[in-house]
Amino acid sequence: MRAYYSYFKLKFISGLQYRSAALAGIATQFFFGFVYIMVYVAFYESGSSNVPMNISQLITYVWLNQSFFALINQFYKDQELFQLIRTGNISYELSRPKNMYFLWYFKILGQRLANVVMRFFPLLIVTVLLPEPYKFSAPSSLLSFGLFILSLFIGTLLVTAISTLYPILMLLTMNEKGVVNIVVVIADLLSGVGIPIVFFPNFLKVISSYLPFQYISDLPFRIYVGNILLQEGIHNIFIQLFWLIIMIILGLILMKKNLKRVVVQGG
Amino acid sequence: MKLYFKALGLHLKSELEYRASFIISFLSQILVFFSYYFIIIALFSKFSNIKGFTMYEVLLCFSIIQFGFAFNEVFARGIDKFDKLIIDGGFDRLLLRPKNIILQVLCNESDFIKVSRLIQALIVLVIAVIHLNISWNIFRVICLILMLCSSIAIFFGIFLLAASYCFLTVQGLEVRNVFTDGGKHMAQYPIGVFKKGFVYFFTIIIPYGFVNYYPLMYFVGKNNSCLYSFSPIVVFVYLIPCILVFYAGIKKYSSVGS
Repeated sequence: MRAYYSYFKLKFISGLQYRSAALAGIATQFFFGFVYIMVYVAFYESGSSNVPMNISQLITYVWLNQSFFALINQFYKDQELFQLIRTGNISYELSRPKNMYFLWYFKILGQRLANVVMRFFPLLIVTVLLPEPYKFSAPSSLLSFGLFILSLFIGTLLVTAISTLYPILMLLTMNEKGVVNIVVVIADLLSGVGIPIVFFPNFLKVISSYLPFQYISDLPFRIYVGNILLQEGIHNIFIQLFWLIIMIILGLILMKKNLKRVVVQGG
Repeated sequence: MKLYFKALGLHLKSELEYRASFIISFLSQILVFFSYYFIIIALFSKFSNIKGFTMYEVLLCFSIIQFGFAFNEVFARGIDKFDKLIIDGGFDRLLLRPKNIILQVLCNESDFIKVSRLIQALIVLVIAVIHLNISWNIFRVICLILMLCSSIAIFFGIFLLAASYCFLTVQGLEVRNVFTDGGKHMAQYPIGVFKKGFVYFFTIIIPYGFVNYYPLMYFVGKNNSCLYSFSPIVVFVYLIPCILVFYAGIKKYSSVGS
């Protein structure tokens, strides 16, 4: 356990060094947030019949999305791990007497947390101070805030489990751009980062409810803004936990299968 | 120019060497692009219009901007990835050759997988135009062609500006994403739906407005002055300072070694 922890810490601390990248990230997130919100506001002002979310909920949802983007986005691919696979340096990793899946898992977790820690606070502070309607609102109740924290925590572990699958998939297919990218795009589309799941057409809502991606960030954010009944929220957190366990087991199995047939071609 | 096409051919050949990989990547790009206009379609399933613009008008707007961006990703990849050229010292090599420098940078790289986006953008464009009931006349034809060309020009200009910045800092400019990806994202919608300050910035400082807003107003018949159809010309004028800045950057350039 200590080995994993120090791996995590190493990545976390080194991740904190990239401050100028974080600053650029914050600027980008701000810009995207404003564009999304202005588009939504324009839509809402143009009149609508049946909106699944009111505008202040939606805006808070957008800011949550932007603040935690570094944590929840699917496009994060650990270049270092991909490099390991490409160059054959993976043999060093294999020689370590630890479970490689969890080594990778905590590496990615550390990196992701470092990225988000530097970004989310400034974004939230500024967006709280914005005038209506751009303002980031308080949670709908204290209880929902508590559930939000719990659900975001599980969501973090879940997204890490899913992103750990990407280098494993690459190891399996030896193709970094193809299959992996297809999974990444589907995950991104169905995770609600572009547009909340409640806006999806019905058939996609159904498909997405049988997949783990909407439990990464859509669930915690909807709990925060109060777009979901508390009871349903609690029910969904159990599903979230279920997916977390499934994804970790899937990763462990794939990794084990992979390592049986891995061939290092020099390096 | 002949040189450029030869380089393109070579890049294409080298990418096609890995055929399976090329096809899978091509498919994944189709999905990526789908996820872009999916948002627009999903929103229009809940709302009927955005500040008076219908879905097909927005899709037209979207396809024009995506076309220009994808075009640059395919054919001007070298400028997009210019910081790499500076960092590894490859730019010195180009400077030694007696050919136009921008052309050489263009020859340096290209990304044919993005052709899938180009094709999809054109498909969306055609679908949108068919659904819009355009009352065609010569000005509208010119307008459409100018919009597409200016969309290519604006991203080329922004890439050049970002590339010039590399001369100063060696590193690529990370905030550039706000103006390329961010700008692309914003200009998917008719710029008029945004707040005033935004509109001014993206009309005067970076002329996205002249690419697919003012001409579009004429094209879909929201404005009857055919002068609007020539407004994309502003973007071509904008390209001149961009090129000049790039050449000024070359004068200042000192190699980082390799």
